[in-house]
Amino acid sequence: MTQLFINDQEVDVTPGTSILEACRQNDVDVPYFCYHPELSVAANCRMCLVEVEGWGKPAASCCTPVSEGMKVKTQSETLAKDREMMMEYLLIHHPLDCPVCDQGGSCKLQDYTVEHGASKGRYSEPKRAVINYELGPFVNTCMTRCIHCTRCVRFADEVAGTGDIGVLNRSDHMTIAGIVEGALSSELSGNLPDICPVGALLDKPSHDVSRPWEMTSHSSTCIQCPNGCDISIESRGDQVMRIVPVDGSPEPWICDRGRYVYDAFRSDNRILSPMVRQDGALQSVDWSDAFDRTIDLLKDKKVGILFSSQWSVEGHVAISLMRDALFPDAKVAFDLHRRDMRPFAFEEGLAMTTSQIEAADQVVILGSDLRQRLPLLMQRLRKRGRAGKPVSRIGAMNYRTNMEIGRDALIRPRDWHGVIARAMEQVSELGKTAAGFDAWLGAVSDRHEAGKILADALISDSCALLVGEEIRSHEDAASLIHGVDLLMRACGHAEAGNDGRNLIPEGVNAQVLSAVFADARVSAGDIFAAASAGELDALILIGSDPVGDGLFPSAAKAALQKVPLVQIGSISGEMADYADVQLPAAAYSEIEGTFVNMEGRVRVATNPIKSLGQERPLWKVMMRLIQVMGAEVPVVSLDELRSAVCQHLSALSDAWCVSNQDSALIAPNRNRDAAALPKARTDSFELDVVSRYSMYREGMWARASALLTEAGELNALDDVLVHPDTLAAKGLSAGELVVKSFLGEQCFNIGVREDVTPGVLFIAKRGVAGDLSDVTAASIDGGAV
Amino acid sequence: MTISSDPKQVTQICFDRINIPNQNKLSVARENGAYEFLPTVLNDFDSAKIINEVKTSGIRGRGGAGFPTGLKWSFVPRNTGKPTYLLCNADEGEPGTFKDRDIMRFDPHLLIEGMIMAGFALDVRDAYIYIRGEFLHEANVLNEAIAEAYAANLLGENILGSGYSMNLTVHRGAGAYVCGEETALIESLEGKPGRPRFKPPFPAVEGFYRCPTVVNNVETLATVPAILKFGGEWHASIGIPNNTGCKIFSVSGHVNKPGNYEVPMGTSLKTLIEDYCGGLQHGSVPKVIIPGGSSTPWLTAEHYDTPLTYDDLMKAGSFLGSGAIIVMDETADLVALTRRLAHFYAHESCGQCTPCREGTGWLERVMKRVEGGKGCAGDVTVLKDASEHMAGRTICALAEGAAAPVLSLLKHFPEDVQTRLAESSK
Ligand SMILES: Cc1cc2nc3c(=O)[nH]c(=O)nc-3n(C[C@H](O)[C@H](O)[C@H](O)COP(=O)(O)O)c2cc1C
Ligand code: SF4
Ligand code: SF4
Ligand code: SF4
Ligand code: FES
Repeated sequence: MTQLFINDQEVDVTPGTSILEACRQNDVDVPYFCYHPELSVAANCRMCLVEVEGWGKPAASCCTPVSEGMKVKTQSETLAKDREMMMEYLLIHHPLDCPVCDQGGSCKLQDYTVEHGASKGRYSEPKRAVINYELGPFVNTCMTRCIHCTRCVRFADEVAGTGDIGVLNRSDHMTIAGIVEGALSSELSGNLPDICPVGALLDKPSHDVSRPWEMTSHSSTCIQCPNGCDISIESRGDQVMRIVPVDGSPEPWICDRGRYVYDAFRSDNRILSPMVRQDGALQSVDWSDAFDRTIDLLKDKKVGILFSSQWSVEGHVAISLMRDALFPDAKVAFDLHRRDMRPFAFEEGLAMTTSQIEAADQVVILGSDLRQRLPLLMQRLRKRGRAGKPVSRIGAMNYRTNMEIGRDALIRPRDWHGVIARAMEQVSELGKTAAGFDAWLGAVSDRHEAGKILADALISDSCALLVGEEIRSHEDAASLIHGVDLLMRACGHAEAGNDGRNLIPEGVNAQVLSAVFADARVSAGDIFAAASAGELDALILIGSDPVGDGLFPSAAKAALQKVPLVQIGSISGEMADYADVQLPAAAYSEIEGTFVNMEGRVRVATNPIKSLGQERPLWKVMMRLIQVMGAEVPVVSLDELRSAVCQHLSALSDAWCVSNQDSALIAPNRNRDAAALPKARTDSFELDVVSRYSMYREGMWARASALLTEAGELNALDDVLVHPDTLAAKGLSAGELVVKSFLGEQCFNIGVREDVTPGVLFIAKRGVAGDLSDVTAASIDGGAV
Repeated sequence: MTISSDPKQVTQICFDRINIPNQNKLSVARENGAYEFLPTVLNDFDSAKIINEVKTSGIRGRGGAGFPTGLKWSFVPRNTGKPTYLLCNADEGEPGTFKDRDIMRFDPHLLIEGMIMAGFALDVRDAYIYIRGEFLHEANVLNEAIAEAYAANLLGENILGSGYSMNLTVHRGAGAYVCGEETALIESLEGKPGRPRFKPPFPAVEGFYRCPTVVNNVETLATVPAILKFGGEWHASIGIPNNTGCKIFSVSGHVNKPGNYEVPMGTSLKTLIEDYCGGLQHGSVPKVIIPGGSSTPWLTAEHYDTPLTYDDLMKAGSFLGSGAIIVMDETADLVALTRRLAHFYAHESCGQCTPCREGTGWLERVMKRVEGGKGCAGDVTVLKDASEHMAGRTICALAEGAAAPVLSLLKHFPEDVQTRLAESSK
């Protein structure tokens, strides 16, 4: 520790700490603009000057390391004058348009002007004019307000990895500019307005809409991906105006999906009152009429229950209570992305925290478009990459990551067995093995060279595998995961404290769901098949859209044409076409509730209960449903409900009763005995189908958001993509082509890209090519007829 | 070489062979002793001995800051696993300075020899000369000299069979003054915009591509061969303690014979101007002397006798800087001079630091107004405040240099400003 004196107070800090950080750690106020705890030091604003005894001139505290015995003063007459002058320099070209600037009220420049500035500026020369530029759908620029702190430049370089903001020119002609014209191609772009200390970069969607002091905010959890970021929901009256990150949470940033989904809360797509279908159209009715219709459809019927993982834990447990009370034999499905329902050796959820993943010796991404799926985990990996730590990847496409991937291999889904087998052989040669190795190896004849990447990484002391959707959605997922599990055990990465087996889940609460619905769970595909086969009388859909999302759109459509649908949820989506009844449930911005993220981190959202219409928290809707259907209501309050939850998951009681939430990590399930052996493929289609997850399009919430939809259009790829060699082998070229699969023949506009594995048919846009999502194998047969 | 500390019997180090025709050709340079001592250094000296000689010589950096060269070299960490780089600062942008240019165009082999010796001492594989963009001719001369040196195995692999190898490359700047600041130079050489880095870390520890790096001025490096040949003690005996050796002064302004003069340190300003530069154009004492390049504070007639040393000029309130002496006699319009310098700095600020980016432009605009007869009484305080809070509060010393002329004007010649302001209020 280095000991120094700040304003005569003795303090100890880690050697190498900057004076500014030493001050911040000890609650000593030093003004600053360019410093940002998450970014590299630029030391250009010169607002952070302090005095160091014995130094002839003031020191910039952000870039001056502490030294033993240093005597620092943060307040003095000369420093006050310095700060006053810094403010005057900064303001000479500033437009002083606070009254019309959104930043007003939460602006460092404004605050420091009041605190440190002189009452009047003395600059009477012409002011410079600066050109604004286009930074995509989410960021508004007003560059006359820029103070050249370069936070945005460093953010683009260091966090987003896009490097598309830069500095042009010198002296007071210096300008910040988007080097790439048009959209800022980052999924984190919404953070720019947050880090800009002034009103130069502002949130575009909320531009000129509201002022900071009109808003109330409450903390909540984002459910738009399994990362479950802490968010602060800012609203004016009952309207959500903005979603912003929360200071001091594990991630200082949130992604554009989680931030800009907010316009979905007030979109036309919301279900805000009970609806029933009358004369072919959905009509608003009161709750009791809707329940009457529901009773008709469900009473004493065989039902399938399909729900989304995006509800709170309380909501999920209420669904389970509803099933127990009304349909104890009903099968449930909550995952639209899993084909293989055999138990996985390691179930969905991360064994490591994102910080542990960032710090591991090796990280291997197995079949995941991580930047789209988990933008913040990707950002951590980028951070790790900048620190010189390797990240390798195996998958069906060279998904864009904005970082240098050390070793990369393109494979087809059918190659996974060979990849794992190849890795098994390599580690066996080093004497690393596990019970079951030989049986698994013996069942696979292929060997794929990509396995070397995996095996090489496994040799290190700590290795984090990020097993993604390409494996999770695989038809033979259980055997692949068993194979990976064997590898991890053989190499010592499956022990408590050093468990690198991370299976990326589809949504939040994965660990809770596998505990609560252990046996009742089936594949969504099975439920649709049962409905189509006449085995079910009705479907209950709770906040899920199997036509717009997931792997079973064709099966879902077929099933929904067959049986009536009771839809319960916040967003209507494509399901409105099928629903016979809609019951409104409150959105995640409107409820108190608990969420478990992929790391097992528990967050209790404290949203005030408020609603735009007649929607109620899901658990209340469930209890009402139980009541109107004539069964005994198991719980009548949130507290009672939570006690019911604790029966399934005692870990949660800590989160609800003890304030120390971060320590209670809920571990993902492990099924030691799940020993599935590889199955050989039987079909004769030569292409493997992989579908793309787009953060701007996936999920009902995202599709109900006009903002995300706009961004999705900017980031869209061709509908269906293949490697040029795939077409060349058939003597075909890009364009309208016929695709053959078990669904029959369909025509698609097929584009080519070098970064798709040859032999893979990549569905880049599910909405358009949606029907192909059901398919895992296909062939391209020729030009359009 | 004439060794004498009598200014009349000029001792010269860097300029010793400057007048020999075709000295830039390797054959001529060799006839006159270039590279003569190099084999001895490469074969019989080691790093410690060289650094020790340079320390003993007392030489301080000739680029502006006057940092002891031997000490700088000794700060370079060894065995870091990273390469060490040697960069010659030939950017020569400080207004009034034109000495490095003469070394490079007339005696390039002196610089090359100095760099080989410095490189050997610091275990450098790759060395660079970062030359001011406008010096096209000098860059061509240097490149020819380097090509000849490579052909003669004075550069490249296994120099003269000694086992030491060093590459030397000339890199032309693009005309930014700030790229003469050593860390901006490094950024620029790395292919980035020339914006100074904050220190620490210092280049000796993390410089070019974050590797240990020594940056030295042309004149500093060109002095090394003489120091090693004649010994550190010899160099230390020239000049006065702590201010040893000779220094090239680039004298310009109102003198009869402007030009480069290499004289032993300690020669007085007055001697230099009267005995060497043919005296002033008008009057017997100068009105203003800017002793170390336009970035150094002004001296006035009362300091005419000051010995030209780092220490004496500092005592007088200025700096020796790069040794560019700008002399202004009584005919000078100091407001115009200041305005012109303010323009230079406003144009050359890299724009990073708030006070320099905004302050330099502000000063220029106010000075322009004052010069144009549109000043007002408040301008004096504005000029003073705006320049005082630039100096010493920024990443590099450019801002301090920008403040110096304005502060000097206000300090020494308030009446010149007042006269202008009075004209304005008419
Ligand atoms: C704005 C600015 C411009 C500079 N320009 C030059 C230059 O043109 N040439 C030079 O040798 N040093 C210049 N310097 C000084 C260098 O930063 C550095 O101190 C010098 O190159 C070190 O070499 P030396 O120790 O041999 O003097 C400049 C410094 C500043 C702040
Ligand atoms: S736009 Fe904002 S963040 Fe970027 S340099 Fe300007 S003030 Fe700083
Ligand atoms: S990363 Fe995931 S949880 Fe975080 S804001 Fe984005 S969508 Fe929401
Ligand atoms: S002082 Fe001026 S030139 Fe130097 S780094 Fe700062 S802005 Fe750039
Ligand atoms: S915070 Fe230190 S210079 Fe900006």
